[in-house]
Amino acid sequence: MSVLSADARRDFEIHRYPALIYALVPVLAVVLQAWLPRVLGRFAWFDLPLVITVFFALSRRNPIQGSIMGGVLGIFEDALSGHPIGINGIAKTLVGYLAATIGILVNVENHAVRLIMTFVLSLVGSTTYFFVVRFLLGMSMDTNWMAELYKAIGNSVIALVLFPLLDRTKIRD
Amino acid sequence: MESFVVRYRNLLVLLALLVAQILGLAMQVRRVNGGQGDGQEVRLIRLWANGIVSPPEKILHNTGSGVSWIWNNYFDLRHARQENVELQKTIDRLRLEQAALLEDAKQGQRLQALLNFEQKYIYKTTLAEVIGTSGTEQSRVFTINKGKKDGIDRDMAVITPDGIVGKVRDVFGHTAQVLAINDQSSGAGVIMESTRIRGILRGNAQGRPEIVDVISDQRIKAGDKVLTAGGDQIFPRGLPVGVVEKVVNDPERDGFVDVILKSAAHLDQLDEVLVITATEPRFAPEQQQDIATSEALKGAEAQKQKTSEGMAEKLPGLMDPNLPADQQPLNDTSNPNPVSRPPVAIHPDRFTPANSAPPAATQDGGQAAPKKPETPKQANPAPQGDR
Repeated sequence: MSVLSADARRDFEIHRYPALIYALVPVLAVVLQAWLPRVLGRFAWFDLPLVITVFFALSRRNPIQGSIMGGVLGIFEDALSGHPIGINGIAKTLVGYLAATIGILVNVENHAVRLIMTFVLSLVGSTTYFFVVRFLLGMSMDTNWMAELYKAIGNSVIALVLFPLLDRTKIRD
Repeated sequence: MESFVVRYRNLLVLLALLVAQILGLAMQVRRVNGGQGDGQEVRLIRLWANGIVSPPEKILHNTGSGVSWIWNNYFDLRHARQENVELQKTIDRLRLEQAALLEDAKQGQRLQALLNFEQKYIYKTTLAEVIGTSGTEQSRVFTINKGKKDGIDRDMAVITPDGIVGKVRDVFGHTAQVLAINDQSSGAGVIMESTRIRGILRGNAQGRPEIVDVISDQRIKAGDKVLTAGGDQIFPRGLPVGVVEKVVNDPERDGFVDVILKSAAHLDQLDEVLVITATEPRFAPEQQQDIATSEALKGAEAQKQKTSEGMAEKLPGLMDPNLPADQQPLNDTSNPNPVSRPPVAIHPDRFTPANSAPPAATQDGGQAAPKKPETPKQANPAPQGDR
């Protein structure tokens, strides 16, 4: 993982995508996240909205956009669950911000970097989620960390396949 | 000041977003704790999210259903005839059982009426298909394709023929969200069939339903059936919930255990569910009609069978199902239990005929033997009380 100087960071290309991709991909991620567990049952170890948040935050390298994207997708997920709205929103806002901030510092074109970042950010998202539930809301919710670990691995594998596919849709100068 | 804002713009936006969401959470939690449920704004957000996600979910669901319909109705009918025959046999057997149980059910109703206890029976159900889930492990919520326009309302019980599934949490126009019994925020009153121990059912972190806050009891064993207790005003009494899988000590309280269940309904693979849209304290007209039909068709047969079973328990069997026809006790001509004659008297007395005293060689050592009664010359008058 190569850490770059501030001057070199400016030289990085900021990826841009068609508006349709910005609109469709997040919605499709939420829809599939809601539908696939019905088919896969308890083996649905992934969080597609989180993967999409990480992808756009890394590509755009803009912490504000990353935070907003993460927040909106998280609130969407909360609205479909039975929990108060904002738990996933806070977790994914933080994930979007961190992904974009790290995206400025490191070369995110490398597949290994993407894999590790998605894995770590998934665990950060899960930790934030449970912090909000247990300590901010005081809800009595037990934690299954093995499932969260599986989910982080699943997210990394999906990112490895999905990121190159989405990269193909970027606008080239 | 301007340079500060520009310099820390990203961080300030992040903080603003986080603070806004935390404030929103605080307001929601206050409303929920106050028993007011979701606020108007929250309901609106849920409605929008549902409105965006449900149509594509329905399309995906219908596409999948179409493919499986074609498969099921054209390619997978090879054993249908044989299955029909077996199902018909099952229906006949169930009719017999139903008729036999009818009297017990009626008696139960009479006793309940005497005790002034009204049990709710399922009156009307609506079939719904599961089209989506919440998408997160932490929230066991799923979406069904029936909503307010189909008569679905909040807190209605959702079941399958195998057992209970959950309750309706939120209702929209054409869809509804159901909170499954294995969610950590769910709750249902249950009772163990054999021990009659009651408890509250909820989900654990692994998505397994468990009965919490149960006082440690040696009688609770794996395999015990668990039913709904009927006290929660949502689930009718006596519906199957699952079986006890294991009993673990409550990590937070000594002397208490958590009873982990294997749910009767397949909560991970739900396709179709029934929403109980109405309950009544008596059997529904359809159920009464079914019972009447069953009674008319097979009632006499069931009664005959019940009677014969009762007689078989009380009388020695002349037909042994384990023996071939030629060895049945009914065909046995040898007499294993000949009628024994009363032993003769050792010493003749005035009640014994004079020539009936046996020779000494045949006597059995003076063992007491019942005396052969002789008709008295003058019968004693019967006591007054016997008349």
